[in-house]
Amino acid sequence: MFTLHKLDMETNNDKMLKDFFGENKKEIADFGFSQRVMRKLPEQADRSWIMWLFAGIGIVLTLLLGLYTGLIEYAFLFIQIIPQLYILIGVVSFSVIGGTVVLLGQKNSYRMI
Amino acid sequence: MSNTDDIRWVAQVTLLGDKTAFDKLTCKYQSPIRRFFLNMTMGDVPLSDDLAQETFIKAYLNIASFRGLSGFSTWLYRIAYNVYYDSVRVQKHYADIDEIQIDSQHQTQNEFSAEKMDIHKALKILRKEEQTAVLLFYMEDKTHKEIASIMNCPLGTAKTYILKGKEKLSVYLTQAGYGNK
Repeated sequence: MFTLHKLDMETNNDKMLKDFFGENKKEIADFGFSQRVMRKLPEQADRSWIMWLFAGIGIVLTLLLGLYTGLIEYAFLFIQIIPQLYILIGVVSFSVIGGTVVLLGQKNSYRMI
Repeated sequence: MSNTDDIRWVAQVTLLGDKTAFDKLTCKYQSPIRRFFLNMTMGDVPLSDDLAQETFIKAYLNIASFRGLSGFSTWLYRIAYNVYYDSVRVQKHYADIDEIQIDSQHQTQNEFSAEKMDIHKALKILRKEEQTAVLLFYMEDKTHKEIASIMNCPLGTAKTYILKGKEKLSVYLTQAGYGNK
């Protein structure tokens, strides 16, 4: 009985504190704080070239492997063989499906904000 | 905005030195970090903004040491916690800590502190460690494990801080008639 009473009291206290802190919890507007932080950050070397370096290596490797295995040649031949209507349908459906997925994704992220 | 975004932005800052990505992290976490400092300093807006700024600069300088074992938020709070106690130590208040004196020094007259007077009055009855743990638990919705990680103490100790803080605050609020509202 005593234990139950104690448990009940603890639950009530917990709820009271949650309410109390919840009432006092307020979002603080930025008011230029982030900009002040950004201005104070020390200058560091721009390393965005790393991204371009790896992108370049990737493209070169793809081309080399494609040429070595004959995959690129085969792809060109394949494009010439298949009916142009198929290509057209493929491009259109890819754009429609891709566009829908991107739009739905954006809608979801707005909802999260 | 999820934790995945945090990891992506951290990677952009670490690998590419992309400041824009860090700006996104700052925008996302400025409010909780400034609120944490505001409550720890009993409503001193200039001081809490200075400490928050120092926290973000330290986070930027040490971002490569973020391993992703805990969330970015927990890692940032840990820096904030250290920055706060460092500032107290630097002011030589920590050794013979006179909390009432510190609080009255930190207390400035501004609209925000006036609005939050009740919470600061309530927090003053707690020890600094209890204040930190209670604020992180009830205000910032951190788990016991995260609080232990932020305060760099064993899980049991963090739980004790919260429990003691909770008991003291419950008595204080009940006596102040808060529960009857």
